[in-house]
Amino acid sequence: MQTMDAPPADNSHAIGRLNSKHPLTSLQADAENRGPLLPIETALTLLAPAECLAVIPARDEVATVAAVVAGVRASLGCRVLLVDDASTDGTSTAAREAGADVLILPIGLGAWGASQAGIRYAERNGFRGVITLDADGQHLPESLPLLLEAQARTGANVVIGTCIERLSVPKRIAWQYLRLLTGLRLRDFTSGLRLYDVSAVRMLAAPEASLLDYQDVGVLMLLSKKGLRIVETPTLMRERTNGHSRVFASWAVVARYMFNTTILCISRLDLGRRGATSSGAER
Amino acid sequence: MLNAQITAALLGVALAGAIFFLVRRDHLHGPFAAWWLMVAAATLALGMFPSLVIWLGRLTGINYAPVLPIIIGLSMVLLRLLKLDIDRSRQERQMRRLTQKLAILEQELDQLRGRATREPVDSED
Repeated sequence: MQTMDAPPADNSHAIGRLNSKHPLTSLQADAENRGPLLPIETALTLLAPAECLAVIPARDEVATVAAVVAGVRASLGCRVLLVDDASTDGTSTAAREAGADVLILPIGLGAWGASQAGIRYAERNGFRGVITLDADGQHLPESLPLLLEAQARTGANVVIGTCIERLSVPKRIAWQYLRLLTGLRLRDFTSGLRLYDVSAVRMLAAPEASLLDYQDVGVLMLLSKKGLRIVETPTLMRERTNGHSRVFASWAVVARYMFNTTILCISRLDLGRRGATSSGAER
Repeated sequence: MLNAQITAALLGVALAGAIFFLVRRDHLHGPFAAWWLMVAAATLALGMFPSLVIWLGRLTGINYAPVLPIIIGLSMVLLRLLKLDIDRSRQERQMRRLTQKLAILEQELDQLRGRATREPVDSED
């Protein structure tokens, strides 16, 4: 109840201006962006942890969810929202006892549908940023401040926490393919560890984003098409303590995923922008 | 020959009758009713007057006229399926958003109720 009734939305204009000046999506690795890439008004988009909502989509994660919620609360002190994607194992109760607010989806919507519910909640309640992480414990709560730091340093609208070491060979090949297809220069497309700023939250809460099935390529393409800046920052991740990747579960699933993603990319492809990713000339 | 004609006519009449019945019983709604009534009318016409098919075949230059109703029927089915999937996508979007909104409102309701019953419990921060 602390931050709920304080929506400081007064600098949304500054954010809009900023975006129109920098509509490029560029991966800026940690080392190479010390320079003053952005004008002074960047400072206005800085996020304090208390202005953020941590959104944790979860389906049947009762074993780990309490520790994750407690970890996030300890590390950021922000409000934590667990979105229970039609679990049957008491995930929501465990999360509530650990101090999270809980949304219970009566129908399972998948990881992205659950995340979007949390993002809509954040928009509705005036939060200026959303941090998403998985409930299975693979994202360390201690690494969350890194996302905020990266956002403060780069002024980006979206920060993705990436763990490069985690990527297996087939994943690397798949990502290379997606990089070619989408023109997004990112290293990890599926990482669920993300920070969205207020303009990204607004876009992702819209109906336009509701038919996406995964939080990865479709979401990132949507955001970059609208001119938001996406950066990655390296973080440490733990091996999944239980559960498994929803995307990389079996070859059949991978094949279907890659096929659907290819179709999605082709249907959203914006050739004009693709050629101009480095100069950022759009519109 | 006459037997086949009678069969076709019977099928057409039966289908048309079933559709009329369903529309009248309000099982098919609005635009669907219009579409299916057209289908009923077409099957009825083709079943009753098979010479229509031959005339149509001559008109469109298709030598083997009996294949014509099949072609038309199949393309109509395809169109209908396409429309169905478009509608389904729209409904899926609405369903997802409603589900999300329901969960959000439920949470807010719980929170308001909690606040109303156990007055100021907020001690943290």
